[in-house]
Amino acid sequence: MLKTAFASASLAVAAYSCAAWLTHDFQVWTAEGARRLEVALLPVPTPAIQVQGSSGPPQPLRQMLADGQTVTIVDFIYTRCQTVCLALGSTYQQMQASLQSDRVTGAAQSRVQLMSLSFDSQRDDQQALTDYAARMNADAAIWRLVRVSERKDLERLLADFQVVVVASSQGDFEHNAALLVVDTQGRLVRIFDYADHQLALDYSRYLAAAGSP
Amino acid sequence: MSLAPLLTRGMAPFALPAALGLLALLASLPARNFLEASMARHMLVQYPLLMLGGALLAVGLSAALAKLTPASPMPVSSWNAHGMTGLFGTALALAVLMIPRVLDLALVQPWVEFAKMAALVVCGAAICQSWRPAGWLVQGFFLGQVLPMMAVAGTLYESSPTRVCNAYLLDDQVLLGQLLVWIAVAIALAWLAALFQNMIKKSAEPAV
Repeated sequence: MLKTAFASASLAVAAYSCAAWLTHDFQVWTAEGARRLEVALLPVPTPAIQVQGSSGPPQPLRQMLADGQTVTIVDFIYTRCQTVCLALGSTYQQMQASLQSDRVTGAAQSRVQLMSLSFDSQRDDQQALTDYAARMNADAAIWRLVRVSERKDLERLLADFQVVVVASSQGDFEHNAALLVVDTQGRLVRIFDYADHQLALDYSRYLAAAGSP
Repeated sequence: MSLAPLLTRGMAPFALPAALGLLALLASLPARNFLEASMARHMLVQYPLLMLGGALLAVGLSAALAKLTPASPMPVSSWNAHGMTGLFGTALALAVLMIPRVLDLALVQPWVEFAKMAALVVCGAAICQSWRPAGWLVQGFFLGQVLPMMAVAGTLYESSPTRVCNAYLLDDQVLLGQLLVWIAVAIALAWLAALFQNMIKKSAEPAV
């Protein structure tokens, strides 16, 4: 009986350790929660990949994001999305409007940009991005739209930023959509829900202001 | 309860090859891709099949062991008195394996996938070795812990407005939640039916 009690106690300790590791000391229960916590604890550098804007040749994503001055709020999209993404698009429009008024006052915090990154490389060509930008009234000075042309690059980016895309019915996609704040060094430093877009914006403004001399 | 030992005794010669075949199949990439493509299949088909593989493995191995050393009829291990270690460990392992992050991690981290599968095989073997020594009291304690846990996890999966796994769709998650609750209820009813059957048999015996 003593041996059984000892064995059971050892198993309990082992299970507790496993659960504590899995949940980051019982703070998160889902992969998404763990992803956000891990990013906040240890920023993720943007991988060295090429992306393409709605016009022009491909350019390195890292250089676009890490200019030493600009903080970028990135989200992952596909332009055909008709359901959730419309609401998310309007979130970006709201953020764009407040960034436009920042530009008028000309403060250091105005160095916040938006970027929508399409993961549907097959269907979202440059024309699709242009159409989407027109539909959303995207201000090119604030809101950039890009696509990843190389499949290998896309896989690398999705893996590094832990974006999981699942094909659902009718050719749509389900993905862990969120606002990804990338700092002036091109590192992913924080992930926010779309609902917390004001928080994401304020945090980015703070980062941009802190980064400026 | 009376059928199970008969079945296992008759199956014993085939248990080992069956276990190895089943586990090899489950470990193969096509089977994993198919079973893990859906959240409900992942937890409600792959998990139980792995446990079944473990149980068959335990039956086969203990039969082979008994053949090697026919003198000693396998005593209940002193490390597993009344099957308590086996069932307690299984309850703990299932609790950990129902954390949503496990499902997502198993898809992207090969070592998590391996640990998950190994744990389920061991759970199956542990239940097989511990169920009868446990008796009604310890069985009831085990089920009283595992089944409510399944039902609560199922309710959470079903009612969560957001996806708890990045790799799976919301309607898949709802289906898994509902099935978890129903399976927990079904297992509870089946066990209670067996218990009452046993009690009726017991109370009838002295009269004969």
